[in-house]
Amino acid sequence: MKRQIPLIIIMTLGFMFVAHSFIPHKISADFFDWFQDWVKAISPFAVSLGVISLFMVNGTKISRKVPNWQYSVITLAGLVFTALAGFIWGTQSGTPYMWLFENVQMPMSATMFALLAFYIASAAYKAFRARSAQATVLLLAAIIVMLGQVPLGAMISKWIPETSKWILNVPNLAAKRAIMIGVGLGMTATSLKILLGIERTYLGGGD
Amino acid sequence: MNKKTIKFFDKIQNIDRRYIYIVVALAIIFPLLIPFNSPTYVTKPTEDIYKKIDSFSGDKSKAVLLSFTHDASTMPELFPMEVSVLRHCFERDIKVFTICWIPAAAPLVDYAINTAKEDFDVQSGIDYCNFGYKPYALRLPIMLGMGDDIAKAVETDSQGRKIENLEIMQDIKNYDDMNLVVDFAASGSAIQWITYARAKFGANIAAGVTAVMVADNYPYLQTGQLMGMFRGLKGAAEYEKLVDVFASYKSEDHPHGRPFSKEIIDQTRVAITGDAVPYKYKKARIGMNAQSVAHIMMIFFILIGNIGYFITRKKVGGKHV
Repeated sequence: MKRQIPLIIIMTLGFMFVAHSFIPHKISADFFDWFQDWVKAISPFAVSLGVISLFMVNGTKISRKVPNWQYSVITLAGLVFTALAGFIWGTQSGTPYMWLFENVQMPMSATMFALLAFYIASAAYKAFRARSAQATVLLLAAIIVMLGQVPLGAMISKWIPETSKWILNVPNLAAKRAIMIGVGLGMTATSLKILLGIERTYLGGGD
Repeated sequence: MNKKTIKFFDKIQNIDRRYIYIVVALAIIFPLLIPFNSPTYVTKPTEDIYKKIDSFSGDKSKAVLLSFTHDASTMPELFPMEVSVLRHCFERDIKVFTICWIPAAAPLVDYAINTAKEDFDVQSGIDYCNFGYKPYALRLPIMLGMGDDIAKAVETDSQGRKIENLEIMQDIKNYDDMNLVVDFAASGSAIQWITYARAKFGANIAAGVTAVMVADNYPYLQTGQLMGMFRGLKGAAEYEKLVDVFASYKSEDHPHGRPFSKEIIDQTRVAITGDAVPYKYKKARIGMNAQSVAHIMMIFFILIGNIGYFITRKKVGGKHV
């Protein structure tokens, strides 16, 4: 029963959603409205679950003094302080919550993302080599697209942005589209396997 | 080739990566600290978004929805786009709605609106409306629901007010009226808008994405499913220029901005070194200076690395090293 009931729920709701997408009938629309209300009711519980889980995981780390437990203290302090700032003073401009966002979260997040530039530059220098014909094509394409992205490319020659556009519009597009079609077919096949109960690994266990 | 040259290339082949980091840092920091004027060439995907939004000018029965699906980490690329679009809407008296799907984007929406509205006499609920944060789990029902009735699908705005009671909602019912959705994301989230809002209700969809996501979105741009796209910081810089040249243009003949003209945009150079354009409206163009220098430097690194590679390979008898 532990496996059969979830399977029945998934198959029933799954096929109802497939039907909803293809049958524009009142019953289908009413079912969708009913589903919307359920999703709205369930969503807050998911947030609560996340917060409880975060407290439990980090609380355990702190109480057991595992290596780097200090980071868990900062995580929990950040969560509590930011939430309190939002609840007490609101989230509008000029409040402590917005101050935290503008002066802590924003620069820290941007810094983490900006580190990518350093890694890419280093990797490009160390690994981007014309070792074979394919690697040479990749190298040339990268240089043209990089130049085409900045004003200097157009200043050198109007053909650089045009060639960059061609690379993105033709070879890139062909490869992307092939990948997307493959992914789409794979998703359809997996979805059907789940709906028909053939794929059951998401329930846990191996069969 | 003499020994000295071979030794030099041998050495730079194994250069400590920290030196590369220093050069990258300097290449980015200096152009940001000392802005210089460089041309901004406007491309079609950005131009198409501008023209579409501009076609709503002063029309109270049309609106634009800005969807935020990113956090602060990608702000340097996406924020200038968002501020520019909001500025365009406020300049041209276009109704604009905002919505976000991740909690970290909620303060970002406020920040973008507050940044843009400082220079305009606009009011929440009348000229613009922030629908606020809606959980990602509700994304699909809301996307589909807005095709029938926005007020019913969204219900309340970020301040808890009933959407249906707001003045801005007059003449705005569904995607027929809120006819353009611009999705700002560091992922492929525009695809969902294409799948549901466009395929089912015919809404126009545009995307504002980080440069690394541009290639992923190209298939939709080519098919016309995306009517336009901001391609990373370059797209943001292009839009900043478009708003400067047309929407913000003031003269006796054009007190509320002038209409788009391909000829004018191609010929106009907007100086970013003086105080004529406020810093917040030229951030992307200053950033493009840094990106230009960084790209040139990276190309230089790649070339040097390859020259060193071929010289070293020659030394060991043409074998791959």
